[in-house]
Amino acid sequence: MLPYAVAAWLFGIGLYGIATSRNFIHLVGCLGVCQSATYVLLLGLGYRWGSIAPIFYDHPPGTPAVDPVMQALVLTDIVVGATLTALLLVLTIQAYKRGGSLDPEKLRPMRAGSKSGRGQGSSRGKDEERTAP
Amino acid sequence: MSPRARVALLALAALILLPGAASVIAGLPPFGATIARYGERINAITPEARHVANMVSAINFDLRGLDTLGEEFMLLAAITGTVILLRGRRGEGKTGRAMRRPGRAVIPRSEAVVLACRIAGPLTALFGLYVVLHATVTPGGGFQGGVILASGTLLIYLGEGYVGWRDAVRSPWLDALEGGGALLFALCGLAPMLTGAAFMQNVLPLGTFRDPFSGGLMLVENLGVAMAVAGGFTQLFLEFMEETREADEPDEPGEESA
Amino acid sequence: MTAFPAVLLPLPVAIPLVVCAAMLATAHLLPGRVPDILATLAALGVAILSAFIAAHAADGPLVYWFGGWEPRDGVHLGIGFSVDEASGWVAAFIGLLYALTFVFAWGFFGRTHGHFQILMLLFLAAMVGFCFTRDMFNLFVWFEVMSVAAFALTAYHLEESALSGAINFTVINSLAGFLMLGGIGLIYAQTGTLDFEGIAAAVARGGRDPVVAGAFCLVAAALMIKGAIVPFQFWLADAHAVAPSPVSVIFSGSMVSLGLFGLAKVSAVVFAGSDQVQHGLPVLLTALGSFTALLGGWMALLQRHLKRMLAFSTISHAGIMLTGIGALSADGTGGMLVYVVGHGLVKGALFMVAGILLATRASIDEIALRGLGRGIGPAGIAMAIAGLLLCGLPIGVLDQGTRGVQGALAQQGHGIALAAGAIGAALTGAAVLRAAGRIFLGLGPDSGDEAGAPSEDEREKANRPLWLMLAPCCALLVLDVGLPAHLIEHALPRAASAFMHRPAVDTVAEGPGWLPWMSVLAALAGAAYGLLRDRLPAFVVRSVGATQSAPTRALEALHSGLIGDYAAWLAVGVAIIVAMLALA
Repeated sequence: MLPYAVAAWLFGIGLYGIATSRNFIHLVGCLGVCQSATYVLLLGLGYRWGSIAPIFYDHPPGTPAVDPVMQALVLTDIVVGATLTALLLVLTIQAYKRGGSLDPEKLRPMRAGSKSGRGQGSSRGKDEERTAP
Repeated sequence: MSPRARVALLALAALILLPGAASVIAGLPPFGATIARYGERINAITPEARHVANMVSAINFDLRGLDTLGEEFMLLAAITGTVILLRGRRGEGKTGRAMRRPGRAVIPRSEAVVLACRIAGPLTALFGLYVVLHATVTPGGGFQGGVILASGTLLIYLGEGYVGWRDAVRSPWLDALEGGGALLFALCGLAPMLTGAAFMQNVLPLGTFRDPFSGGLMLVENLGVAMAVAGGFTQLFLEFMEETREADEPDEPGEESA
Repeated sequence: MTAFPAVLLPLPVAIPLVVCAAMLATAHLLPGRVPDILATLAALGVAILSAFIAAHAADGPLVYWFGGWEPRDGVHLGIGFSVDEASGWVAAFIGLLYALTFVFAWGFFGRTHGHFQILMLLFLAAMVGFCFTRDMFNLFVWFEVMSVAAFALTAYHLEESALSGAINFTVINSLAGFLMLGGIGLIYAQTGTLDFEGIAAAVARGGRDPVVAGAFCLVAAALMIKGAIVPFQFWLADAHAVAPSPVSVIFSGSMVSLGLFGLAKVSAVVFAGSDQVQHGLPVLLTALGSFTALLGGWMALLQRHLKRMLAFSTISHAGIMLTGIGALSADGTGGMLVYVVGHGLVKGALFMVAGILLATRASIDEIALRGLGRGIGPAGIAMAIAGLLLCGLPIGVLDQGTRGVQGALAQQGHGIALAAGAIGAALTGAAVLRAAGRIFLGLGPDSGDEAGAPSEDEREKANRPLWLMLAPCCALLVLDVGLPAHLIEHALPRAASAFMHRPAVDTVAEGPGWLPWMSVLAALAGAAYGLLRDRLPAFVVRSVGATQSAPTRALEALHSGLIGDYAAWLAVGVAIIVAMLALA
């Protein structure tokens, strides 16, 4: 049961890292840690003691082998991870070039540059207070 | 929310999730005791049914080929997205000047590096091709080999410099390689339907067990994947490398700002 | 050799993929508008094929095994597509939505060699694959392909706000993908197969199993993240509002609904045999759904950025759809499926109107646009009609869906969910109607506070003719209003039962007839309050204002745009799901 506990731990610590991150590159790394949790889980579920890899080149077919389906799943997962990391790093580059900072706390969607505090205007209850010149 | 509030929320969630995880782990079959029936059955029938030795390749390119098709196109989408995002700002021009960071010395390329790259480059390419071609008998395949081939092109940059890199690695060819590989894979799925078989059914001669040329249609799909992955990752490296160049003019704003 | 209609099943997925790959391979060679034409034709082809398949699936689901790997000795060896009537029609709707979106986006993305069309076609293929598949891991693969295509499309504008919206979207949805993969691993370990039917049989054979419940929690959490249910909804408003308008049409029109579609399918087909799941679902889904409907509606009213307002409205309607699933009956799920189509049509039309405003008036801020809509009257009419449809006007497909959902909830006694859904719809309708009144009629207090606009200078490509943008918008609305109700009524009981793999029922229940009218009246009252506030007596304004200020401030503070907050709430959400299932 240790591999499964390791997988749970990895996901938890990765999520903690994302929640408290102060640097986008660190955040991408934490996402990678979360993904490693899935690798460990899947490969652990597919393993069997005393079995060979599922390649019958040196061994005759019929030798007990580990689960090839899990390995194929993990291969797909790795490609997914590579694509996500590439996209996130590209977004980070652009965010840095545009905003000058790599800190997630400083990059907010939908905030006007000059306003402080909350940006989403509310037009129902607050128009008059906010806008009286 | 302050960081402390976030950690408090996470702790609250952990209070419920940890016992849950514990009960799930306790309920799982013991580690290493057994494998699933699906995997067992595949190990039993595939060497006979498809004459291949590598079960993982058989799953990727035959039994569950549709998953690999989807994943291939996911890679394509990500690379296309990268190209849009990076090139959209930068425009398509090239520039010869690298960005200079103040305070960092610029060390000229040493001859030893050039020599090492010139030796290692072709060897890496050869090794990558070897990994690609032996998909059905070794733990290799299109994905693995394609990435090796793509990383081999970085040796061109290390050895020949930016100008050599740009001369060797051209974006339209990479687009063609990537799109062509994906197209080949998709056509491997549709073509069997023309002969009345199912989508991506292995209709080519299956070859001999434990020979590199075994598996029939798997080899064509493997080639498609290798082309697409090599093209895609090299395109990615190209785009990232262009980010290190000094822009001739200021970056253009995005597509829609007028 | 598969029988005729079934042999068409791979095509709606394969055709967009082939066109996409071909366009990429010839990216630098294709002239001008060829990518637009090819993309529109491909989407139309998908719609027609899917409709054909759906029509033939009326007697029973069509099944197709890829690679020729039919199941042997009860072991499912290959990946299968199993298309029942409802899934086929949803796929046909998605194809049509894409075709209209490509027309709307004609000439929008001029500079990128067709890369936009490439990504959108891939998005389309993934959505159709998601609807058709009967394999858990294949479901995950299409889920991820949808996500990656969406990530790439969101950041197109490259403004600062677009980037952080895209990053939040990417990180949260990636975590959803990981959760789903974990759940799939767990269920595979316990049942030994990846096929829906195989897993369902194994789950039914086993008893109360923490691993099966845990797997369901993870998969359900992932699909609810995609479906923007509270507390996972934060990413939607950020991503949606900054994506280009054609992309927003697809996001709200189909992507979010597909997450809930997937949840309905998985809970009804795969986990039908698990008593723990079936006992825990009604409370979980109706509670979360009600909360989501109310929160979405409330936040929608507070927005002045039109696309953000529409995003919160989508969140609210997603909550209503979730309550429909929570009824766990053919009525509720059938109503939800019709709701998916109806909501997609109406919301798609609204986002197109927002795109029209952005292109012709260079602003997306409701206050800044006040009165500026006078030159584009037809868009205003479209927006007003769409707003009325959103809040429950009893005509059209969306209303049929609403009545189905409300009927199921009423039948099972979920009064709170019923009320929450009606209130949520009223709130979102009020927000849209208020915006329509302000922009196109010039009503509303003149605040003169352009400096308070929450977004940067926005504009989208302005040189497309108005009719080109308006025609798809009107087509969507005409479809929603004009689709003959009796066709859907006739097919729905059979289709919904087939979707849930249950024996057919004869009719579906309908909700109280007065409830939609109440929603419409409440929406009109809300819009009128927003627009005519300065003419109302002071005590009315003060009393209404007093009730809103504290929860409003709290809600706005929560939607901070910081990824760390969202990740924390994600953990809380998963914990809620686990807790509710553990108690069942």
